[in-house]
Amino acid sequence: MKVRDILSYAFGAIRLRKLRAGLTTLGVVIGIAAIVALLSITQGLQGTIAEQLQTGFATNTIIVSTGRGFGMGLDTITAPESDFKLLVSHTQIIDEIEGVDISAAEIRKSGYLRSGEQEFMLSIVGVDFARYADIYSSTFVARSGEISLNPENEAVVVGKRVSDPWENGTLLCDVDSTVEIIWTNASILPPKSEIYTGHVAAVLEEIGGFGIGPSDLSVYIPTSQAQSFFGTDECDRIIVKLENDDEATIESVSEAIKDAFSGQVSVTSSTAVLDIITSVFSTVELFLGGIAAISLLVAGIGIMNIMIVSLMERTREIGILKALGMKSRTVLSIFLSEAVIVGLMGAAIGIASGWVLANVVARVFSGGGPMQAGNRAAAASGMTIVPVLTPTVILGAFAFGLIISVIFALYPAWRASRLKPVEALRYE
Amino acid sequence: MTAPVVETVNLRKTYMLGEVPVDALQGVDLRVEQGDFLAILGPSGSGKSTLLNMIGALDKPTEGKVFIESVDVSTLNDNALADLRRRIGFVFQFFNLIPRLSARGNVELTMAIPGLGKTERRKRAEELLETVGLRERVNHKPAELSGGERQRVAIARALANNPRFLLMDEPTGNIDSKTAKEIIELVKELNEEKGVTIIVVTHDQQIALQAKRAMLMVDGLMIQEKVN
Repeated sequence: MKVRDILSYAFGAIRLRKLRAGLTTLGVVIGIAAIVALLSITQGLQGTIAEQLQTGFATNTIIVSTGRGFGMGLDTITAPESDFKLLVSHTQIIDEIEGVDISAAEIRKSGYLRSGEQEFMLSIVGVDFARYADIYSSTFVARSGEISLNPENEAVVVGKRVSDPWENGTLLCDVDSTVEIIWTNASILPPKSEIYTGHVAAVLEEIGGFGIGPSDLSVYIPTSQAQSFFGTDECDRIIVKLENDDEATIESVSEAIKDAFSGQVSVTSSTAVLDIITSVFSTVELFLGGIAAISLLVAGIGIMNIMIVSLMERTREIGILKALGMKSRTVLSIFLSEAVIVGLMGAAIGIASGWVLANVVARVFSGGGPMQAGNRAAAASGMTIVPVLTPTVILGAFAFGLIISVIFALYPAWRASRLKPVEALRYE
Repeated sequence: MTAPVVETVNLRKTYMLGEVPVDALQGVDLRVEQGDFLAILGPSGSGKSTLLNMIGALDKPTEGKVFIESVDVSTLNDNALADLRRRIGFVFQFFNLIPRLSARGNVELTMAIPGLGKTERRKRAEELLETVGLRERVNHKPAELSGGERQRVAIARALANNPRFLLMDEPTGNIDSKTAKEIIELVKELNEEKGVTIIVVTHDQQIALQAKRAMLMVDGLMIQEKVN
């Protein structure tokens, strides 16, 4: 029998029981849609994070820390336990290293900013404005005012959202505002709130994301001021700008810095962070994909169930076909074709609805939707997820839907093909 | 003399009805020549249908042999049996049409199985349905046809692949006597005018009278033969 005739016969059998076929297909649709939606959202999220990471964390920079501060978990494990302190003055050592362009120390504390009656929680970051602007030349940029490279003592630079926290034009502070920056020193008893009065010299361009570099939710004060304000020479991390961003340079400078501090610092490069994020996402993807795959498995069992019922109902029909001279493998092909048609339709509809679902979820999550909570959460993280549907996912979904359908149809189809014509014809 | 179209030698069939073994055929010898019209009569349970299933290559004998055009059926594998069935026209007592296909669809399906192209089989299906007098009913589904009409479709279907012979199991068993008469006429015509070899199993004395030969079967044995 010709393939076209087999398919048309199978299609006719499906059309006869539209509701049943529809419900069976729905099982596949749900499974595939779940997989496609989850994967395209995760991939979109991963892309967004990677992109923002690269914005906030130029690829030609590496971060030196003691391992207690920034480290994405891994460094915390590998960092040695010791009394070692990373000092602001250590930038001098780092600057001497071959391959290093410039470095900048960051002293970072949580605190709040008071302007008039209003207060705003933020990070207080002490940096050398000139060096910082050199390293983060694309993000540490003023939208208004001017980042003085040789700042007067009270000059501060604020992030976009410190100036305009509600994003509606009602400003907390602006260029030329006088603000009080408050930090509570809890290392002495009783804890004491220190107040620093600053003069806003510049507001940064909006950066977005959760940048490892400059952030919308920080206030920047000159290093020397930070040292006396926080009463410490210790810095949280030193950002190092390299002469270029090739792997070899990153590798050699990282090693040189570790050697210079006798292995008591950890060095993180953007590539390393990206690697970690990628591996975390692969795990998440696998996990979510696995959950979605279970629903597809259930769909497969549905297919098998319906095929066995169909086999019973059509025993006599199979007997007729065999009496007319149809070969066993043709009977097998007809039953498998029915499963393939269901699988392919389910996959196609599933991919489309998964894609729609992913976009709806992404929109709600990104703050475009009507949900207030979603709005706020997204606004706080400043993230926009653009779901990504790769050809791999599309093909994979098709293949998976098809394979599941065929595998679960194999047994009923095989049984159908093995029926003896006389017994099948006698079947009531 | 040419080889018989169908020949059975000492054909025996025993099957289990629950725990009880039933000897449906107890050594049947039969020869059917090209162009023959044989009616096999006998009471229910005499083994007529079992014999027909053996000749139609739908079932396997317990003992003895069936030769179709000198080929020993027992030596054929599953695929070869399927090929053989394509050359045998079977007409069942309960019509056994595919309910979701139209009259033409049912006839076409028979030709689609050996892989005949769409235009040819459509044309031939329409011709065959015209031959059996169903020109106006080609697009009707079995449920929309009367018993006699369904049996005509079944005959058209049985003829579709130019079979070597036609096997009919109680072709008039489920239709009224007037229609039965028409069917008998049609079958006789096929035999006389088109030279189709026909073996029919029946209760119907009318068929026995119209056939060239009639045989009586009792308890799995051929006991009497009459040549008209």
